[in-house]
Amino acid sequence: MAKTKDGQKKKNAVANFLGVLGNDIKDIGVTFKEGDFKTRLSFLIFGFGSLLRGLWLRGLTLLAAEAGLLYFIISFGWQYMSKITTLGTVATTKQGRKTVYGDNSFLILLFGLLTIFAVIAFIAIWRINVRVNRNEQLILKNGRTLPTNGDDFKSLFDSNFDKTLLALPVTGIFVFTVLPIIFMICIAFTNYDANHQPPSNLFSWVGLENFKNLFSFGTAGFGGTFVVVLVWTLVWAFFATFIDYFLGIAVAMLINKKGIRFKKLWRTILVMTIAVPQFVSLLYVSKLFANDGLINGYLLKWGVIDQAIQFWVNPTLAKITIIVVNIWIGIPYMMLIATGLLMNIPEDLYESARIDGATPWQMFVNITMPYMLFVTGPFLLTQYTGNLNNFNVIFLLTQGQPKTGNLVGGAGRTDLLITWLYKMTINDTNYRMAAVIGIMVFVVTAGISLVVYNLLPSVKDEEGFQ
Amino acid sequence: MKKKLVSVLLTAAMGASLLAGCGQQAADTTQTSEPAQTTETTEAAPATETTEAAPEASAEVDPAAYDGKEVKVWVAENVVDFTNEQIEAFKTAYPQYAGVNFTVEAVGEGDAAGNMITDVTAGADVFGFAQDQLTRLVTANALEEVNPDYLSAVESANSAGVVEAGKVGGTLYAYPMTADNGYFLYYDKSVVTDPSTLEGIIEQCEAAGKNFYMDMTGWYQVAFFFGTGCQLTYDTDDQGNFTGCNVDYASDKGLVALKEMIEVASSSAYQAGSSAGDAVNYAAIIDGTWDADTVKSVLGDNYACAKLPTFTGSDGNTYQLSGFNGCKLLGVKPQEDEDKLQICDDLAYYLTSEEVQLARFNAVGWGPSNLNAQASDAVKANEALSALAEQFAYTIPQGNYPGDYWTRAESLAGDVKDSFQKASDEDLTKALEAYQADLESYAK
Amino acid sequence: MAKNSMGSMKRKRALGNFFGYILLILISLIWLFPYFGLLMASFRSYVPEVEYGGMVDYIIPHTFSLDNYRFLFNGETNYVRWYCNTLVISIFVSLFNTIIVLCVSYALSRMRFKGRTFLMRFWLILGMFPGFLTMICLYFLLKQMGLTQAGAVPGLILVSIASSGMGYYVCKGYFDTIPKALDEAARIDGASRARIFFTMIIPMAKPIIIYTALVAFMGPWCDYVFASYIAFGHDKSYNVAVAMQRWMVVGDYQGYFTRFCAGGIVVAVPVTILFMFLQKYYVEGVTGGAVKG
Repeated sequence: MAKTKDGQKKKNAVANFLGVLGNDIKDIGVTFKEGDFKTRLSFLIFGFGSLLRGLWLRGLTLLAAEAGLLYFIISFGWQYMSKITTLGTVATTKQGRKTVYGDNSFLILLFGLLTIFAVIAFIAIWRINVRVNRNEQLILKNGRTLPTNGDDFKSLFDSNFDKTLLALPVTGIFVFTVLPIIFMICIAFTNYDANHQPPSNLFSWVGLENFKNLFSFGTAGFGGTFVVVLVWTLVWAFFATFIDYFLGIAVAMLINKKGIRFKKLWRTILVMTIAVPQFVSLLYVSKLFANDGLINGYLLKWGVIDQAIQFWVNPTLAKITIIVVNIWIGIPYMMLIATGLLMNIPEDLYESARIDGATPWQMFVNITMPYMLFVTGPFLLTQYTGNLNNFNVIFLLTQGQPKTGNLVGGAGRTDLLITWLYKMTINDTNYRMAAVIGIMVFVVTAGISLVVYNLLPSVKDEEGFQ
Repeated sequence: MKKKLVSVLLTAAMGASLLAGCGQQAADTTQTSEPAQTTETTEAAPATETTEAAPEASAEVDPAAYDGKEVKVWVAENVVDFTNEQIEAFKTAYPQYAGVNFTVEAVGEGDAAGNMITDVTAGADVFGFAQDQLTRLVTANALEEVNPDYLSAVESANSAGVVEAGKVGGTLYAYPMTADNGYFLYYDKSVVTDPSTLEGIIEQCEAAGKNFYMDMTGWYQVAFFFGTGCQLTYDTDDQGNFTGCNVDYASDKGLVALKEMIEVASSSAYQAGSSAGDAVNYAAIIDGTWDADTVKSVLGDNYACAKLPTFTGSDGNTYQLSGFNGCKLLGVKPQEDEDKLQICDDLAYYLTSEEVQLARFNAVGWGPSNLNAQASDAVKANEALSALAEQFAYTIPQGNYPGDYWTRAESLAGDVKDSFQKASDEDLTKALEAYQADLESYAK
Repeated sequence: MAKNSMGSMKRKRALGNFFGYILLILISLIWLFPYFGLLMASFRSYVPEVEYGGMVDYIIPHTFSLDNYRFLFNGETNYVRWYCNTLVISIFVSLFNTIIVLCVSYALSRMRFKGRTFLMRFWLILGMFPGFLTMICLYFLLKQMGLTQAGAVPGLILVSIASSGMGYYVCKGYFDTIPKALDEAARIDGASRARIFFTMIIPMAKPIIIYTALVAFMGPWCDYVFASYIAFGHDKSYNVAVAMQRWMVVGDYQGYFTRFCAGGIVVAVPVTILFMFLQKYYVEGVTGGAVKG
């Protein structure tokens, strides 16, 4: 039943899309058929019609876009894009003692993708160009006057102000975030690793081989290790989020308590951990807890213990220590947030509860917590996904240690997926598997976010996510 | 609608101009590698008589071909100043290179290989690295073969083991720089009175409440395995691919070695680590010559060195701890420009010559690989180097190992300190079998 | 009777406060201890004749000295250069980041255009992809523009600000709370969107501007992974985190621990002071962000 409904939906979407495309093509045809020579010539020379109609601002912009994109595609992009199906065939050779580099698969893929996007942009601008001409012609035909260049320019700061504001950020995000991500997704389908390292060696497409490797549970397969690391990642994020959350609220309430003085001082002390760069504080703390570190040193000296506590050596202890150290980092942050929010809880709620003879604990459970959870639901979710990818804490404290022969790919007992894939790229240049794991990290994060987000009470009550 | 599109165009145009900018840049950079033809320098190399005359240094030298070339050199932090001085001397010895720009950067020998592999083209032209990175670099084509003109000179001047260490599949890929990449025992005379047995050292450290430092990662754990007579070597082909693995860890000998490691790690005095600067309150540390100064400054008058101790295995026999003897090498990156390659080859050859190796020993205490330099009195008188030389009688030359080996061995080290501590002999045998299977799987 | 219960209440509260203080003092000690240790280590000389610069098993140095700080500033290393690099990166990132975030937030909060919800959803999803994977890709993109190694500082600035638009949540949430009626009134008076943005919204957004700038300013001081990836092999373009990390991790640097601590203190002090001054705005920002999600 549900399936057919889904199918129906899909069919509708496809039909819709085809319909729009059909209309578009028809529209383009009509534009050409009914167009004067200015419009028709614009099909080749962007903005030509607008230029002749005196609208040089938009005409020149269109023309500049065409010239720029064409120049980019022909002079730079084509050499890469033409090889993207094979990722290069010319091997590196030697001429005498001189090295002559062949095709660079990496650059072919990277700039090939960039060029494909340039081509798409070119087509989109061409379409816009056709529409502009059509509109201008229609306006003239109906006897109305065209907007002036000044109007065009002014609109950039008024009705089209959003385009002005977003132009740079969107371009930046596209080039430096979207393109690299698409690139890395592509890498998951290639054999780019230590043995296929550009510029000297070529790499090529291998289809789903890397994904098969991830889900193979043999001795050399990544499956077993992936599951172990994934479980620890989820467990870690859970503890790191919720322990910090509750303790943070508790500390905030303690400081806010009536009769406690020097509130600002206490807060300032705690907030140090946010202000001091983590690479300084966490590296120091990691040495502090080492087998030969200060804590063990003093405990041994005072005779409290007679054997060093294996903080970073014993896997279970290492995991606990990480979570505890993370409390040190996480509480202040939560404390600041909770301080602000606690003051927003209407005082009369507590007042009436007190009259009813409620104990402080009951008030906490029945008033404070429900309020906090309701208000900070989405925040908790982002904290959780943030902790799933909390690179700094693990990297600076343990670097994934202790290691064990039971895990493949150099993974350690405290490695999160994110630190594991980092090691894979840096130490083993195993990009093919790192890319697959990266995709898995994305799937896990996005999956959890989607499911939990729709269950949040504050989301159900308010309008959609904004 | 129409107003909107203008701004869309603007957006696109901005993007396009940005991209076009990249294209331009690319076109520019491809041209920079062409030799800059500058005016002839009048100082036509008077071919000064030098001890290190290159085979063809005086023949048709055209300084103009080299002028303005950039040569990047990566060495470890503590020899940056030394290398700069030597490059000045190099320019005097090879006057045709007076116009070449040399830049020396401090890049640790561990990082060098990783950085080279990330982007060979941006990496150094001449760089120092430790032997364990050799195959990785060869696989990534980050090393040029040693210049055939220098080949026989390099092979005859340096100790045979070191030359072998620079080879992959019979081809020498780098210039040997030091022959001190091994480890031995530093100890505190006032605490450890008899450094000949491992049990004795640990006992005395425990009694004094002092630490005993020894790593059990890939490079160090072979001291136990090779000590009991196990072997682990890999065969490689010309491209640096591993074709075979000779290992017998899953045996009684292997078990004795592993159990000894576990026993050492169970001592309250034991600490994992092999860098003196990070070690605390120690009376004994297994470390290399590069940390000699640090250890000396801590132990002061009680500073002493010795070869590695012997240990009594679980089978009652006595074994001598073994290990690797390896070297540090100076590599030259493959070049797209033959003139530049010539400069790099000459420089690498010069920096690994007898005189410079001796000077390096005097400056920072690195043990030379050059036979003549090794024979010099100053080197022989060095305490740390003599201990190392004594230890080298019990070690095997470090051949080529796949990168996976180091990673996997580190995992074993983790298990030794933790889950193996309470494991039964059967479990350990199984673990050794799994270990051996993994090691074998790295050779295809 | 009533008096009695009041008295017992008071006693109870006093007792509660007493334990509260003990707890707070304990917490403060735990929180400050690492910084105390760091500070003490930074005063321990690395000169062999005086003391030892590596790891030791005591906290208070035997002799207090400023050798480590002298080492940082006497030109033996490029520390001042690294520090300036980081400062330059921080200032530029902070400035441009704030401008871009303000632009994006205004557009998303006040204007309704085709693709608006798509854009927000899309950016949200993008943020879930692990960034480390894309490092090598960014490296080669920057290299194409000549912004690696020697050009790493502008390269790092470019990458940071290029993606800063995705961090609009907190700021947009703040803009959403400014009543739209104000805009409407101004528009009826003939003000353009740009005018409203510059003369009305921005002056009202002071707390959120300071918050955005502060967070952006603090980021580069911790950036180790990406910065080392872009700048490798060029000492002069390292930032403090990259350069000092070597003192702790790379084996060539023995006995650099106390110098690392001193360098860390020199980094931490100005950032911390700045943070303390602007703490109020930071609290406002994170609280707002938490509620909005």
